[in-house]
Amino acid sequence: MRMYYELAKRSFQQQFAYRAATLAGLFTNSVFGVMLSSVYLALYWDKPENASVGGFTAEQAVTYTWIGQALIMPVIFWGWWLIIDTIRSGAVVMDMLKPMDYFRYWLSRDLGRGAAQVITRGIPTLIIGSILFDLVWPESWQRWVAFLISVPFAVTVSFCLRFMFNLWGFWLLDHRGISSLVILVTGVFSGHLLPINWYPPAIRDFINVLPFRSMMMTPVEIWLGQVSIARGLAMQVFWSAVMIGCCYLVLHFAERKVVVQGG
Amino acid sequence: MAYRSSFLLQIFANFLINTAEVLALFAMFYQFDSMGGWTLGEVALLHGMSMIAFSLGDMLTIGMDYVAPQIRSGEFDRVLTRPLSSWMNAVTSEINLRHLGQLIQGFLVLTFAFTQVNIDWSVTKVLMLIGAILTGVALFMALFTVEAIFSFWTVNGVEAINAFTYGGSDLAQFPMHVFGRTLRVLFIWIIPVAFVTYYPALYLLDKPDPLGMPGWFVLLGPVITAVFCGVVAWGWNQGIRHYRSTGS
Amino acid sequence: MTMISVRDLRKTFPIKKHAGGFVGSLASLFRSEYEGEFEAVKGISFNIERGEMVGYIGPNGAGKSTTIKMLTGILVPTSGEATVAGMVPWETRKQLALKIGVVFGQRTQLWWDLALIESLELLKYMYRVPDDRFQHNLNTATELLGLEEFLRTPVRQLSLGQRMRGDLTAALLHDPEILYLDEPTIGLDIVAKAAIRDFLSELNRARQTTVLLTTHDLDDIEQLCPRIMVIDHGDVMYDGGLSDLKQRWGGRRQLIVDFASEPDVAISELTNGNLEVISIDGPRATIAFDRDSLSAPEVLSRAGAYGDIRDMSLQEPDIEDVIKRMYAGKIPAGV
Ligand SMILES: Nc1ncnc2c1ncn2[C@@H]1O[C@H](COP(=O)(O)OP(=O)(O)OP(=O)(O)O)[C@@H](O)[C@H]1O
Ligand SMILES: [Mg+2]
Repeated sequence: MRMYYELAKRSFQQQFAYRAATLAGLFTNSVFGVMLSSVYLALYWDKPENASVGGFTAEQAVTYTWIGQALIMPVIFWGWWLIIDTIRSGAVVMDMLKPMDYFRYWLSRDLGRGAAQVITRGIPTLIIGSILFDLVWPESWQRWVAFLISVPFAVTVSFCLRFMFNLWGFWLLDHRGISSLVILVTGVFSGHLLPINWYPPAIRDFINVLPFRSMMMTPVEIWLGQVSIARGLAMQVFWSAVMIGCCYLVLHFAERKVVVQGG
Repeated sequence: MAYRSSFLLQIFANFLINTAEVLALFAMFYQFDSMGGWTLGEVALLHGMSMIAFSLGDMLTIGMDYVAPQIRSGEFDRVLTRPLSSWMNAVTSEINLRHLGQLIQGFLVLTFAFTQVNIDWSVTKVLMLIGAILTGVALFMALFTVEAIFSFWTVNGVEAINAFTYGGSDLAQFPMHVFGRTLRVLFIWIIPVAFVTYYPALYLLDKPDPLGMPGWFVLLGPVITAVFCGVVAWGWNQGIRHYRSTGS
Repeated sequence: MTMISVRDLRKTFPIKKHAGGFVGSLASLFRSEYEGEFEAVKGISFNIERGEMVGYIGPNGAGKSTTIKMLTGILVPTSGEATVAGMVPWETRKQLALKIGVVFGQRTQLWWDLALIESLELLKYMYRVPDDRFQHNLNTATELLGLEEFLRTPVRQLSLGQRMRGDLTAALLHDPEILYLDEPTIGLDIVAKAAIRDFLSELNRARQTTVLLTTHDLDDIEQLCPRIMVIDHGDVMYDGGLSDLKQRWGGRRQLIVDFASEPDVAISELTNGNLEVISIDGPRATIAFDRDSLSAPEVLSRAGAYGDIRDMSLQEPDIEDVIKRMYAGKIPAGV
């Protein structure tokens, strides 16, 4: 256990080394935040004040946008192929030689990374958003706490998804094909692209029974008070457990299948 | 053969990615009737034009993506030894048509838009449409060059340019008047993406500019774009000079 | 005590090929096409006792790394048996990891972004090394390998030789009983090679660590390994002592004879079953002969018939020569 804690701690610390990249990323998140907020606000122009459409008032939609931008880096919705890279380069050999749980090894590192990025990317993005727009804030301290708890679960579910897509690499060394699938799946199904309630009922109901909404939509609902704290967190815990189980299942097969590249 | 099929696959993958964007547009209009007073068909017109210009511009300057890694690995020297202008060399060092998927989708969305809106077609409107897309292609090519220019000096923080490239193409998909003053000034006067979709669309749709600019304003597009391209060309040459003097 | 025991160990790799066409390449997203197999290791057997240092050599692609990967438990063999420290490696990979140390010269088990010392500390937690053992092992390595000057440097910035020393230290932090070294001296300069060799002999002497070493540097073998195994095309061609190998397969010594002037060309007629005139270069003739059937004075007196001898020197066969001939297929496989 100590080892996983040390791993998490070190990847946490490491994140603070990339100052220029952090600033650049914050800038990009902010520009997109402003842009998307403006677009969403424009949708409400011909609605009466405080009208709620698809479960969101204009202010809530803007808040949703900024939470989404704030969660991009901590949660990571696309473009994470570190494991496939180690498989392709053959470096995975060295990881397989260590007396450790391969899944927990990567998960602890990812949680450490995510925690750092909540600080360097998440919170600053939300602060910028709150300066530029009127955001809706959690209505009680319990909701604040619940939101903070929901983020690591969002990271966990996202990590599991990324882990499984990466393990695909044990069979197939190329990720270009599936990467587009990932963008589509996580973008749409997590609710990052658009609030899930805005889709037509058939699509909405389908997305709602999938685990991916834990990555984004559930934290947003906890923040906005659209779901009870208990129910929101319970869903996330449930889906995290299911996803972790799936990861171990895939890992079980992948380990037997390992194709080590190069001498 | 293997090359061709993986090529088709990439196009297909690229097509999928952009499906999400188009899906989002339709879903928004499933819930709402208009965006800043514009209908689905009108916004789709912006989407289609932007996607076509962006994908063409990106495909023509794929080589720019490789400038940063080439500088780091030292391979950029080879680019400079070929008998063409340095920019042409860098651009042609890599050719990849993966964004054909987006281009196809752009045409589909544009076609959809034409079925939804009533355009009083005339020769000048056709010319306007073509001119707008050509302006857009030039503009996006310049923007992708900016990203490469920065890598002559630094490897850090270059991704901030994404806010202008991807941000610019996203922004061009929506009516300009929904954005606040800062974004408008930025994307009309400095990085003129407003002239790629918004002003030409106003002309095609015979709409007055809600921001109060006169009808001829659209003709400023190529001018501002030319200025922008000039600045980028100057920056590129500075970058090359810097590279030659520092060797890194 | 037998530390490593291998029986008929075989590994075949599937050879994959993507199907053509759009549908084929779409399908290849989900599965890959199967297209025959390649036998990298063809049923090898051997035993290694505790405290042995064994050189495992063979040309590129012979199957050395594949064997080591199976003996560490990373790869599952196609058939055959092996026990390492009493365990079947591929069934108990993680337990076995606590008993073995591995260095792959072309890879690192350190973390690129961390300082060397931090990587070592992480490994300490991973292998549950007690504080005092950690400190002791770190001190020994620091002393013998000179880690001091780059302990705080990020691994990314280490030179190859520095990184290799770090990797070797890392592999030994938990006092493994067995050490696998796959080309540990690749790309290193003479000083670094010497440091690593001294370190390994010292380790083997002090702790009775069993070492299996692959290398293309035969000096490594000569200085470290009393026993060698030669593998080619997945088959063990030789397994035995180094001196034996020289005796049996490198049996030819060379006599270099300097004549006063160019010797009679007829000297080349000396060549027969156990003697060969390899070259005549001006006044110098090089003659190889079989050590078992001829003595040096005898060869010298025969050569004396073709001119005035001024000087001569005798060369013992070197392992380089033996191995070269072995790889080239001049020595029949099987011992
Ligand atoms: N993952 C793999 N898939 C298919 N073939 C493989 C794979 N790994 C190794 N091989 C093949 O198995 C053979 C043995 O490889 P191995 O890496 O064991 O050689 P080696 O003896 O270590 O060579 P070197 O001295 O070059 O390191 C080679 O012909 C190689 O091409
Ligand atoms: Mg090898």
